[in-house]
Amino acid sequence: MQDTIIELGGVTKTYQQGKLDVRAVDALDLKIRAGDFAVLCGPSGSGKTTVLNMMGLLDAPTRGTVTFEGRDVSGLSAAQRATVRRDRIGFIFQAYNLIPVLTAMENAEFIMDLQGVPRPERRVRVGQILTDVGLAGLEDRRPDELSGGQQQRVAIARAIAAGPAVVLADEPTANVDSETAATILDLMETLNRERGVTFVFSSHDSLVIERAGRVVRLRDGHLESDEARS
Amino acid sequence: MLAKMAWRNLWRQKRRTLITCGSVAFGVFLAFTLTGIAENSYFRLVDTGAMMGSGHVVFQPEGWDLHPSLDRTLADATALQREADADPRVRTTLVHIQGQAMFASGSKTAGGAFIALDPAREGPDVNLFLRCLKEGELFAEAGGDGAVVGERLAQRLGLRLGKKLVYTSTDKRGEIVSDVVRIRGIFRTGVAEVDASTVLLPIDRVRKTLGYAATEATTVSVLLRDQQDAPDVARLYREAQRGAGVAVLTWDEAAPDLAGLIAVDRGMNRLFQIFVGLLIAAGILNTILMSVLERQREFGVMMAVGMPPTRLVAMVLVESVFVAVVGLIAGIVATVPWYLYLATVGIDLTPMLGDGYNVGGVLMDPTLRLFLRPRHVLAVLAGVFGLTILAGLYPAIRAGLVQPVESIRLV
Repeated sequence: MQDTIIELGGVTKTYQQGKLDVRAVDALDLKIRAGDFAVLCGPSGSGKTTVLNMMGLLDAPTRGTVTFEGRDVSGLSAAQRATVRRDRIGFIFQAYNLIPVLTAMENAEFIMDLQGVPRPERRVRVGQILTDVGLAGLEDRRPDELSGGQQQRVAIARAIAAGPAVVLADEPTANVDSETAATILDLMETLNRERGVTFVFSSHDSLVIERAGRVVRLRDGHLESDEARS
Repeated sequence: MLAKMAWRNLWRQKRRTLITCGSVAFGVFLAFTLTGIAENSYFRLVDTGAMMGSGHVVFQPEGWDLHPSLDRTLADATALQREADADPRVRTTLVHIQGQAMFASGSKTAGGAFIALDPAREGPDVNLFLRCLKEGELFAEAGGDGAVVGERLAQRLGLRLGKKLVYTSTDKRGEIVSDVVRIRGIFRTGVAEVDASTVLLPIDRVRKTLGYAATEATTVSVLLRDQQDAPDVARLYREAQRGAGVAVLTWDEAAPDLAGLIAVDRGMNRLFQIFVGLLIAAGILNTILMSVLERQREFGVMMAVGMPPTRLVAMVLVESVFVAVVGLIAGIVATVPWYLYLATVGIDLTPMLGDGYNVGGVLMDPTLRLFLRPRHVLAVLAGVFGLTILAGLYPAIRAGLVQPVESIRLV
């Protein structure tokens, strides 16, 4: 039995929209296990991003519990949640969201810098990761000197460099062409298979859904299906 | 990495950063100029006042400042002079007898004040009246019969060089005494009331007239190499003269009107500078805040991946520190040539002010100059630096309040 990294227990998230309460997620139970290569899919408004935000401790549920590596994180302070995110969660965003003033190398080592990892150690580890994601020779380029696909590779390198328990990726292929998307998925799949990195995506891209090892379908904030593939 | 990011962030909007740094530099330039002009005028005022007889530190008989009269004297003024002369901080000491007298020439009379001095110790470098001599010269002997008068008094009494002047005063015992001297010189300070009432007389002759002993006088004025040593020097002398019936006053105690004038002017100047500084700080706050609001999404991402809010606040504050440092350096570079020019050459304002420009009866040099002490430079730099950091504080706090989940949604 695989270890559970994230467990959502009866999680409900309600937003205030004007005078109306909008229920984005409703009494959702979901477990993410170590080694998962899972995709959260569903139509717009189904609650994918909200679920991903709660898994990533970026947002707190209105009701229910979020357990991360066996610890209930619902009541953690903002600073404590930031520490968990820094040390245990990697993020890949739809719009890459690299820090524009940092080079590829510096972006990738950003989290390790926050962790206080000494520079020589960071450089060795990140240098290897950048090579693994196919960015050897581009270490000193800034984001505006890289293509969309290269930027997303830097984002992946940043997400995995500090050795997180899970990488959460919000629509990681939405801003790249299908060829680049396939390459990025190949890369993440390799990292999942060879390094055991756990990935959870939110996506409605059929390419991502086809390649996922587990497909969690959401509709109107409810779990519609949770299908594991061999 | 935080400092590296802060530095690079500054140059993302080069023009905006240059304008902000330029505001800081302008603040430095303005503060140095305003402080330099004001401090120069205070410095000159005090020195000029000192050279008009009061000194930076003065020995007087106790109570003389409230009731100056010729029957109150320093019994051994020359001993005080010797004691002060031994202090390396002292440039020179001047023994004077200062009092009121009636001056007459022919049938004309006028009231006024005399300063009896030793010509061997006084010259244009320590005595403002001698610096302003228009005709003749200072009498040569302390026991001679020479006198130097103000131009207006000379005109009023119809005096010319070589003419006789009779002065009448009260001696040490309160008896009316008089003596005759000859005019050897005429001065014009430009201050009408001084030029219309002041006469310089030879001290030994005046001692004889007033019945004073050879060492007796009313004041011993001490001119210091640096006027800011006055409180320390005065404190030392006060301790030495305790119980001897000798009062030791600093220039501001001896001339409270002048000291009050300087204090009020300095206060107004600082207030004005604070207002100008706040205006500049408001501009800096505006630009730093704008740069923070533009980076909400970026800050949200940094916090999402684990950057603590305190570190984000620190990063924006470091950006403000860099703006302050660059601005201060630019300000110093811009001010140094300006300062050197005005400190050494100056701008002659005589056409605007005339040559009798005075403040509170103290003659002022009508040349615009700057004078700054190291403490003024440090105060200006610290003030501008502090205001710039203060201007960056609110934007920094705003950056730390970013909610990652909301900021990431922003496009």
